[in-house]
Amino acid sequence: MSKQGGGSHRNNAHKKRQPQVAVDEDNPIVQAFRNYSTELTTKHDRHERIVKLSRDITIESKRIIFTLHSIDSRKQNKEKILEEAQQRLNKLIEVNFRSIALELRDQDVYQYRNAYSAGLQEFIEAYTYMEYLSREDNDEPPKSVSDWQALQSVMQYVENPSKAKDEGASVEETDAAEEELPKKFQFFIDPTEYVLGLSDLTGELMRRCINSLGSGDTDTCMETCSTLQMFYTGYISLNLQRARELWRKITTMRQSVLKAENVCYNVKVRGGEAAVWGSNFDQKPAEDVDEGFY
Amino acid sequence: MSNFVNMDIFSNYQKYIDNEQEVRENIRLVVREIEHLAKDAQIKLQIIHSDLSQISGACGSARKLIEACAEKYVKLATLVPPGQYYRYSDHWTYITQRLIFLIALVIYLEAGFLVTRETVAEMLGLKTKPGDGFHLDVEDYLLGILQLASELSRFATNSVTMGDYERPLNISHFIGDLNTGFRLLNLKNDGLRKRFDALKYDVKKIEEVVYDVSIRGLSNKDNKDGEQSVAATE
Repeated sequence: MSKQGGGSHRNNAHKKRQPQVAVDEDNPIVQAFRNYSTELTTKHDRHERIVKLSRDITIESKRIIFTLHSIDSRKQNKEKILEEAQQRLNKLIEVNFRSIALELRDQDVYQYRNAYSAGLQEFIEAYTYMEYLSREDNDEPPKSVSDWQALQSVMQYVENPSKAKDEGASVEETDAAEEELPKKFQFFIDPTEYVLGLSDLTGELMRRCINSLGSGDTDTCMETCSTLQMFYTGYISLNLQRARELWRKITTMRQSVLKAENVCYNVKVRGGEAAVWGSNFDQKPAEDVDEGFY
Repeated sequence: MSNFVNMDIFSNYQKYIDNEQEVRENIRLVVREIEHLAKDAQIKLQIIHSDLSQISGACGSARKLIEACAEKYVKLATLVPPGQYYRYSDHWTYITQRLIFLIALVIYLEAGFLVTRETVAEMLGLKTKPGDGFHLDVEDYLLGILQLASELSRFATNSVTMGDYERPLNISHFIGDLNTGFRLLNLKNDGLRKRFDALKYDVKKIEEVVYDVSIRGLSNKDNKDGEQSVAATE
């Protein structure tokens, strides 16, 4: 299995080969280190597998967000796109997150947090953005954004031994549990990861605000802007220590809020001209801030 | 139309994070106590670099302090919710590595072999398997052992200064075995790897000491060899 970065692996293999010839297997140190080695390798391999899974989630989530941005009030394509996005998000939950959950079963989820954190945050961004867009027209039951408990309740899985084996992820675990009833497991959503992921949503809202200006949909501008302001208020109300990552995100969020507010100001001041000059509006204000696709 | 932004999220998160802060605060207090004890033990063991006759006494007092640390670890274990070891582990990894080093040093000085992870865990009152509760992380153990290598290279130099020419040879064998052991590990490009890369400097330092001792025929064991090589060069 090629689980290591090219350079370090080559290096390692080279180093390992030479002394192995002379290794004295009776030496207690050697025996002990063989055990440590197995343990470390197991851990690294699991980490790498999760990183891989997480990377797939990140890519797919980014694509979903991109698709969601192609919703345009002039094209009447909203329903279709939302449905597609919903399906793709469900697939992520049913397949990708399930695999990670399998890897993390009976493990300390915090140990592998770095491995899946990026994918999870990106997914939360996509998921909440989809929620935001779908509530715009079905205002009969106007739902708020899912909190982490709500997301947690979607990430519940029931063990399916044959399927788990196909995935090849954790054969040992399934073997042990085969005779018993299907066991339940879940993908644990850390509230901190959720809050970090949700903060990324504001970047998408800002973009939607600006894009709507381009298509002359000024109501959407105003609406996204006020949502943004509420998010910002919520985030700065938090009193946190040791949260450098979140602090960075809140700084970015402030930039997004300012941009959206500026759009609304322009709408108010110039009113009907918007649709005309909107086409020249700078549509990439946050390229440095966000992660591609635009 | 109700708001999309549910402000409860933020107040709930605040509660969540306040809880976490409290746990961290409590952990920090216990860790600080462990740090004090470990520091004392480390100071006691410094005597090995200046007076060889006091080694066993120093080991004895270090052992007592380590026992006291074990009691603190029991307390620490109760503060960490099950299954969340790695959520808080950054508070204690550093000091645990330091203690592993101290234990390994004591055991080496007393018995001359490398302490196993199981023994360290037992001495600190920790488990070895993550599933059993508050455990000794294998990477922490290995990092602690690497600290031992540096200390022993210093010890090799100083024992020569104090007139003990045999000790560097023993240390050299020991570090050699250790080096072989570490080479068996499939290391990732991480902290452990970086620290391991520094092991070769300790090995080199000890080899230089051994070389100096043997080429001058100072070591009894190598006396003959030493004379021969001196004779050969003449």
